[in-house]
Amino acid sequence: MGALLEVQHLKKYFNSPKGKVHAVDDVSFVIEQGKTMGVVGESGCGKSTLGRTIIHLQDSTDGKIIFDGKDVTNLDKKALNTLRDDMQIIFQDPYSSLNPRMTIRQTIQEPLKLSGKFEGDKLEEETERLMKLVGIEERLALSYPRELDGGRRQRVGIARALALHPKFIVCDEPVSALDVSIQAQVLNLLMDLQESEGLTYMFITHDMSVVKHISDNICVMYLGQLVETCESDELFENTLHPYSKTLLSAIPTIDIHAKKKRIPLKGEIVSPIDPKPGCRFAARCPYAIEGCHAPQQLEEVLPGHFVSCCRVREINHLE
Amino acid sequence: MKDKNEFLQVKDLVVEYTSEGKIVHAVNKVSFSLERGRTIGLVGETGAGKTSIAKAILRILPEPGGKIVGGEVFLDGEDILKIKEKGMRKLRGRKISMIFQDPMTALNPVKRVVDQIAEVVRTHNSKMSAVEATAEAIKMLEKVGIAENRVREYPHQFSGGMKQRVVIAMALACNPDLLLADEPTTALDVTIQAQVLEMINELKKDFNTAMIMITHDLGVVAEVCDDVAVVYAGEVIEYGTKEDVFDHPAHPYTKGLFGAIPDLNSHVKRLSPIEGLPPDPSDLPEGCNFSPRCPYATDECRRGEINAVEAAPGHTCRCCNIKAQEVQK
Repeated sequence: MGALLEVQHLKKYFNSPKGKVHAVDDVSFVIEQGKTMGVVGESGCGKSTLGRTIIHLQDSTDGKIIFDGKDVTNLDKKALNTLRDDMQIIFQDPYSSLNPRMTIRQTIQEPLKLSGKFEGDKLEEETERLMKLVGIEERLALSYPRELDGGRRQRVGIARALALHPKFIVCDEPVSALDVSIQAQVLNLLMDLQESEGLTYMFITHDMSVVKHISDNICVMYLGQLVETCESDELFENTLHPYSKTLLSAIPTIDIHAKKKRIPLKGEIVSPIDPKPGCRFAARCPYAIEGCHAPQQLEEVLPGHFVSCCRVREINHLE
Repeated sequence: MKDKNEFLQVKDLVVEYTSEGKIVHAVNKVSFSLERGRTIGLVGETGAGKTSIAKAILRILPEPGGKIVGGEVFLDGEDILKIKEKGMRKLRGRKISMIFQDPMTALNPVKRVVDQIAEVVRTHNSKMSAVEATAEAIKMLEKVGIAENRVREYPHQFSGGMKQRVVIAMALACNPDLLLADEPTTALDVTIQAQVLEMINELKKDFNTAMIMITHDLGVVAEVCDDVAVVYAGEVIEYGTKEDVFDHPAHPYTKGLFGAIPDLNSHVKRLSPIEGLPPDPSDLPEGCNFSPRCPYATDECRRGEINAVEAAPGHTCRCCNIKAQEVQK
């Protein structure tokens, strides 16, 4: 299968009174048709901005977005509307992403109506199909979001995203606000839908065990920069970038007998406003040297395994 | 369960809220005990009643509405539910203190952080001068890793992790015997969470504090707790040492929780979620609260009170079907 989405040197800067915020800085990756790309990182690393920029909720500052073989970086309003049928987003917070004054049926019908493709019986039929698809009981059609639990609300959000048969969905922390038992239900639903509808996901999360479970490939981000990307299993078995190593070692696991080698991290995330060139992790990195303050290149260190670190070979004893 | 010399002993605690004429059964006959220097984890999902247990121990349930209906809480042999409000005020912050979940709302936005901690110190040591209290506060902040040149800043100038450390410094300022930590790391990133958990572990060792850790994250429990109480619909449904509960979970709900978490060390393709939802605490089912979602439930589960039984010495489980489960396995 070919690439569905390709991002080349994508940048997104925001203006702020203190200077330019480099929210996404020179990020490149490819998502294959039907696969899931996990994007992980801590708050403020630009993972949500990346997702929103790709589906054009915000304009990109620089770089290229290639979707389904077409360059979609700059589009007029009409072309953008057509593109939106193919690219959708599921938001993090099912509590604030639904209109409290619309019933579940109205909420799910909204995108169908806006598309102008559904009317009368066809509209009702399609609504019913979507509700069934995401597992919302018929009896809840006239309920309001406040009457639903978090898991069901998130199902409504998923139904809206699926309404127009998109090819690509950005899932922005879709299970973070849910309890574990409910989280598992929603994760299973997303995986089932991927198979039945042939969807491609970009799955944004800060939860490493969730990302490992759902993703085929993973991007690790730190302060707007892509530091490491490769296949999911490869990342966990053969972590190469110093930041990824720290991040993985910090996860509390439920295995109480495992011996843990935690890599302690000093300091806190520095400001993304007008950052100095070079690796942004250098300020906290135990391996940082002079050369880290020069701009870093994302390099294919091992087959399919890209890392942005000038000392990666030396640290990991690779030739 | 254990002998009466435990430092903290909670016995049959019952908390109810009244809302819109309905009685919400938030905490139903919860019992557990804790020694000095040990940490118990209260694990459960949203609305299970974990925070209500902690608030009842501190006697800070929202009024009107929240009420301790029954039970006893012995701290060092004294039933603190019988102490008058004035005496309780002396206890709070000094003997028992609490770390709240959200550091953004637990701090006063218009007061310098050092002054907020000095205030706590002075409230409990009336003889101390303002200068001494400030010195004490600076010492406390240094312990949690906040340098002296930043102590005169306001909360908004701090990052989330630093704010949480200020909240922890405040909770530890008077060297409490019992620390209640309500999801202290939930709002933090993993690398910062790791720092904070490590710090809590160290401080606890230094001060020999007993701690109740409230969390929904079994990973955090694995990291810091000695004992575990699994809370479901206001009841402790399983209770034992961390090894008991993690290595040999006995209650179907606990087993379900472990099955629902994606594990970093395994390659399960599909998670096994617990079907259904927790019960409405104002309308609890007859018999076992978990029975509507339990794959092993029988008629016996749906009537009368379910008593805790021992799955192993010191490891209790509120389920009448432990034996039947064994057979099904």
